[in-house]
Amino acid sequence: MAAPRERIVLAVLLAPATLILGVFFLLPLLIVALFSVLMPGLYGGVEWAFYHWNYGRIFGWADGLMEIFEPIYLQILLRSLGFATLTVLLCLILCYPVAFWMSRLPERWRLLFLFLVTLPFFSSLIVRLYAWLLILRPSGLLNQGLLALGVVDAPLDILYTPAAVVLGMVYIMVPFMFLPLFAAVDNLDRSLVEASFDLGATRAQTFRKVILPQTLPGIVAGSVIVFIPSVGNFIVPDILGGAKGLMMGNLIEQQFLSARNWPFGSALAMVVMSVVLMVLLTMVARSRRVRG
Amino acid sequence: MQSRLGWAVLTIVAVLFFVFIYAPLLVIVVTSFNANPVNMLIWDGFTLDWYRGLLGLGERATDVSNRALYIESTDQLLAAVRNSLTVAAATTAISTVVGTATALALARHRFKGRGVYSGGLLLPMMMPDIVLGIGLLIFFVTIGMQLSLLTIIIGHCTFLISYVYLIVQARLAGLDPALEEASADLGASEWTTFRKVLLPQLAPGILGGALLAFVISMDDLVITYFIAGTGSTTLPVYIFGMIRRGVKPEINAIATMIILASILIAALGLWLRSRKTD
Repeated sequence: MAAPRERIVLAVLLAPATLILGVFFLLPLLIVALFSVLMPGLYGGVEWAFYHWNYGRIFGWADGLMEIFEPIYLQILLRSLGFATLTVLLCLILCYPVAFWMSRLPERWRLLFLFLVTLPFFSSLIVRLYAWLLILRPSGLLNQGLLALGVVDAPLDILYTPAAVVLGMVYIMVPFMFLPLFAAVDNLDRSLVEASFDLGATRAQTFRKVILPQTLPGIVAGSVIVFIPSVGNFIVPDILGGAKGLMMGNLIEQQFLSARNWPFGSALAMVVMSVVLMVLLTMVARSRRVRG
Repeated sequence: MQSRLGWAVLTIVAVLFFVFIYAPLLVIVVTSFNANPVNMLIWDGFTLDWYRGLLGLGERATDVSNRALYIESTDQLLAAVRNSLTVAAATTAISTVVGTATALALARHRFKGRGVYSGGLLLPMMMPDIVLGIGLLIFFVTIGMQLSLLTIIIGHCTFLISYVYLIVQARLAGLDPALEEASADLGASEWTTFRKVLLPQLAPGILGGALLAFVISMDDLVITYFIAGTGSTTLPVYIFGMIRRGVKPEINAIATMIILASILIAALGLWLRSRKTD
């Protein structure tokens, strides 16, 4: 008696999400996959013919008839991976000591500082990046300060360099690294740390054998959450990066909005997506192994 | 780290950390009141001119051509704000209802493929937004759908449903099912149980999810950038365009107002959360 009714309730509850995500999430991704193996049309648009050179072009083997050998796309892919990795490492170095500091504070202060870390997340991404534009540009705060102090004679070219891109990414990603990391550090079993010291372990040993393994889940979660949006980012390099800071995201944007080569842009997007899926699957497999 | 010295070093690092987070925002707020339009870092006195300029009341740039140099049009800015609010309101309503329904279905029913389904629900959150953006662009162009506010609303819903689902689901997991069983045992219908027992307990989670959806929708730049039509520019896309054309003092004024608004929203969220724990 109850079973068919329950099934109807379940269907009604799940239908909206299934419909919306099926039509407007899965279907578009499938279309991107399809476009990535179609031939680009001469004046934008696509020819409905199988064409694998979109991928060849990314990895440096272009269609001999239409393109020349250009490893530049491979370079940009590697650079994106490098920038994202560097962003993860810098966020980690920045957040780890602060997470320890905060876990030692009394409850009230801990909540206040936790709120202060998450607060920038509520303010606009574009506004936060714009702040760095104000600071880093040649007539900006940093250069004016350095000139006034006599540290440098001429303004430094910091804006539109890879360093500016990584700095901008670290700035917007810090809260995402901090929260999972803090959760892990806060749950750390202090008595184990004390036991380790009592048994004569050095600080380095205690960190490596006791603290690090216990906070590893937080480190992994934070790293994945920071890495994924960083690798496909196009806003940060667009605002703070120059030609040397170009990333996969900028390349994809160009293919869609100025070069109008949608199949090549789709292939680039598929590469970014595969990187992300590989990272996610590795993490899932890892956590299964740890649990099992 | 047991020692005083270790603690002092940690404290210094923490102070630098918070300076790193907040100094850039402070730079914007301070420069937005600076009268010097050429070098925003030399203080020429306090002014509200850039705020007046935003609202079309500028005295600084009195002639039309000069004013156009600073800010295209107050109307465009206001239209962008209106578009953002429309999109965020609609998106929040849809994704809150759908996300909550999905969380209820998965928490209170067992069915085949439940694990895969709940895992799949997290994919839109993890997908890089540029991939989702171009996917939706190709999709809408292929089916011949005009880019408009509606396409932006659809685009935002695809990933915000997942956020609401995740938050409501976490709240559901912490509830005591005995209360619902008691309600059913006392003869209440499923609907009555939902309304009188489940909903009041879930309310903080649903509100939190809605607030998060609103904030993310208001701030989304990448997906909106690809699927906004000519007449449907939102505030972040508008500011992005302004920044790409160069630094102008009016941007500081807009940015300061956004920072203040976001602090208000965050404080509201904190207040809601503190009520939840009471």
